[in-house]
Amino acid sequence: MASFVPTDPHTLEDQRLYTRARLVEVSCLDCLATVGVKKNSEHHTSIQWSSDALRHCPEFARMAARPEGRDVHEGCPRMVASIEAAVREGKIPIGAEDGY
Amino acid sequence: MSDTRFLDAGTPPERFARGWHCLGLAKDFSDGKPHAVEAFGGKLVVWQDTQGGLNVLDGYCRHMGGDLTQGTVKGDEIACPFHDWRWGGDGKCKAIPYARRVPLRARTQKYPTVVRNGQLLIWHDVENSAPDMDILPPELPGIGTDEYTDWTWEVLDVPGAHCREIIDNVVDMAHFFYIHFAFPTHFKNVFEGQTATQYMNSTGRPDKAGEGYGDENSILKSVATYYGPSYMINWITSEYKGFITEILLINCHVPTSQNSFKLQFGLAVKKPEGVDDATAEYIGKKMTKMFGEGFMQDVHIWLNKAPVQNPLLCEEDGPVYQLRRWYEQFYVDKADVTPEMTDRFEFEVDTTKANEYWRAEVAENLAKKKAEDDAGAGEGADAGTPPIMTGT
Repeated sequence: MASFVPTDPHTLEDQRLYTRARLVEVSCLDCLATVGVKKNSEHHTSIQWSSDALRHCPEFARMAARPEGRDVHEGCPRMVASIEAAVREGKIPIGAEDGY
Repeated sequence: MSDTRFLDAGTPPERFARGWHCLGLAKDFSDGKPHAVEAFGGKLVVWQDTQGGLNVLDGYCRHMGGDLTQGTVKGDEIACPFHDWRWGGDGKCKAIPYARRVPLRARTQKYPTVVRNGQLLIWHDVENSAPDMDILPPELPGIGTDEYTDWTWEVLDVPGAHCREIIDNVVDMAHFFYIHFAFPTHFKNVFEGQTATQYMNSTGRPDKAGEGYGDENSILKSVATYYGPSYMINWITSEYKGFITEILLINCHVPTSQNSFKLQFGLAVKKPEGVDDATAEYIGKKMTKMFGEGFMQDVHIWLNKAPVQNPLLCEEDGPVYQLRRWYEQFYVDKADVTPEMTDRFEFEVDTTKANEYWRAEVAENLAKKKAEDDAGAGEGADAGTPPIMTGT
């Protein structure tokens, strides 16, 4: 059943640009997780996980097992380190293309 | 070809979101009377039975459409004011005092209920699925005990906007500066499964309201998570000159039509050590007033803005498109939920440039104000309630 439906075909292209364009694959240096990464600037990072990648990440499993913790976790420090390493190696282009 | 950009208003969904919706504080429904709640394009009736359980049915009797919210609670059932048909919390008609027997088909729409953290939640799904207990909002330790103040509770009517407008605020870093006069320094979003979270650190703006939370010395650390389409828990730590206050803010809404919703919020303060109950209650009330003004600032924007399906974003904006992709899962059949709607997604907004510009703007405003004050033209503006806002 249709939900929020765009009435202009260009909107679909916008959706593609903002959600899927320019994602670079980055593999974790410590586990088998591979994510899609985009960096519009040095301090901006967009990380797209998949359920496969999440399953491979021992950090999230460890955080989820902590009984007292909240059920939402800000991120995996190992993946952050892996992305930083990829940036240093010049594997991730930094910069936005007209905002996306 | 024209390069002019046009707003795509899109068409809103016909259905209402699947998930848990909060109707208010459980104690407010526990007086043995029927209560009317406007929701999902109609009206619901809420009442407490003799076991203390809360029941929610569609508000209109399946006989001749009598308004059950104007009926009477008789035993465990709600009795229609029109012909005294008795409806149970399970949605079945239990008795018709003047009839030989109850028609077999006498079943109405019931909404499964759960009381969590002192609040009444109901499960809504146009597919009529069983309530998903695994995705209930978490229980909040300490709530309902002496550790926290009682919930405050406020309801705001938003008569001319789709409730997706309030959801969009989860990713809206810059509006905190312009609408709520806060100064976000750290801003990150995480979407995963049926949760969407905003992490934000912010300070007050010294150029807006001179005291308390408008102060740069006021530091807020906020984690705000939507559990499903309509219920947000916001964990807030407020630090002011070494004085730390922990606040729990609930921000939730019930859609009342395709273009209106009721916004509700409630707040509980962890009683600070060495502070008596009356003072803690006072802090809670004051905070509620401040957040109330924050929500009103949002409502004013929603009631006047245009719906936009194709927002144009700059580098400093949050992930609106990904947030909406996440939100979409509640508006399609369960079988049509795709992995990309629920896959984990993280987005850290770069606040460095924005902070640089905003610091300059604040300094300029302060200088202007000082010049006016020195000239004796200051009229004591901004003497109102200092602003505070997180999550929304």
